[in-house]
Amino acid sequence: MPERYVSPLLALPSHDPAADFVRAELKFYGVDHSGLSYEARVFLNRPDASADTPQEEGVDGGYAGSFHIFGHGGCFGDVGHCDVPSGPRHPYDLRLSHPLIPDTKTLVITDPLRRLRAHSAESNFTITVVAHVYDLGELPLGRDQTEPLLFDSVSLLTYESPPPLSATSVAEAEQPTPAPT
Amino acid sequence: MQISDKAVIDNRGYQYSAGLHGLPGQYCRHGNPPGSDPLFLPWHRAYLYFFELALRDQVANAALAWWDWTSPASHAAGIPVAYAEAQAEGAPNPLFKAKVQPAAQQNGQPQETFRQPGDPNALPSAEQIRQIVSLRSFSDFTAQLEDVHNSVHGWTGGTMGIIPWAAYDPLFWAHHANIDRLWRIWQLRHPQNFPAAFLNRALPPFPLTVAQTLNMKTLGYDYASTKVTVPGTRA
Repeated sequence: MPERYVSPLLALPSHDPAADFVRAELKFYGVDHSGLSYEARVFLNRPDASADTPQEEGVDGGYAGSFHIFGHGGCFGDVGHCDVPSGPRHPYDLRLSHPLIPDTKTLVITDPLRRLRAHSAESNFTITVVAHVYDLGELPLGRDQTEPLLFDSVSLLTYESPPPLSATSVAEAEQPTPAPT
Repeated sequence: MQISDKAVIDNRGYQYSAGLHGLPGQYCRHGNPPGSDPLFLPWHRAYLYFFELALRDQVANAALAWWDWTSPASHAAGIPVAYAEAQAEGAPNPLFKAKVQPAAQQNGQPQETFRQPGDPNALPSAEQIRQIVSLRSFSDFTAQLEDVHNSVHGWTGGTMGIIPWAAYDPLFWAHHANIDRLWRIWQLRHPQNFPAAFLNRALPPFPLTVAQTLNMKTLGYDYASTKVTVPGTRA
């Protein structure tokens, strides 16, 4: 089971000291949430990290934070019930989106990345993710159980100037709305 | 008759409300996948609103309580005593556990809710929440708050720890009232920052749009930090 992931080497971002990043984040794309619930513990430059590695920050500890999946526990419908539709959507389909579309999870790592850059002699680093599955007792989970920690890719993004808006917030083109009265 | 005693098919009862979230209704909205609207906070506000109305149909002044899992008491003892004790006033405590209707069971299980809580110190901290509430962008705010919400579900474990049965646990409502309260605090601090793109989106099965969940005063409730009452002249 992929309860542990170690990335290929990533380049540490190089910024002009006069315009250093104000926010750094890891974006995990295509994260499956159809199965168990778990905490994904993220470590920087700790390819040896495992389920027993303490969540200690700092260069030696390498812990950068966690994201959390509240899982659907498998499929409880009939055959095909949990298959996410592919292809274009009918323009008159007003139903809400399929609940099992893989998610995007964002972990802010501004301080851990700064610490790593300040103390590392290397220009590259790794990301290690360790899944800690929550204690659900003896629940009768659904069929087609997926393994924890399935995702498509992970990106490191840094932002040089405030306000620190995420890529998704830019994309959704926020507009002002009336204040609650 | 208590709300928990009503027949499963009675839409005024606890089993009906609990069954809307996961099994068998499967209406809940979570996550922020690309191309989808971030409905987590509006959908759960509508859910709390209609559940509290159902409570008030039984007891006119009933109100949902919120569980502040950042509090020193929670970091010392975990689940609040009101929900953690199996017995209350010499009888089974209805906040400790609840039945799970047959339509939500798999091979006859689970028949009732249970918890497997973690280390109380692992609950979210007040500093975490302070940082999240300070986020200006709604998409950042809802994504980070939902992640903390996920962690509390997982920390509680058992039926609370997984979507199909989470809402059967009476603790679910106190957890989500706190999430809703934190959204209210964020709204007060960032009143102009809600995205307009999905205001007209419906929130099935509830007859509300996203826009109708934004103003809590039109829903008839708010979150008071404190309340002190003294007798008046007719007392």
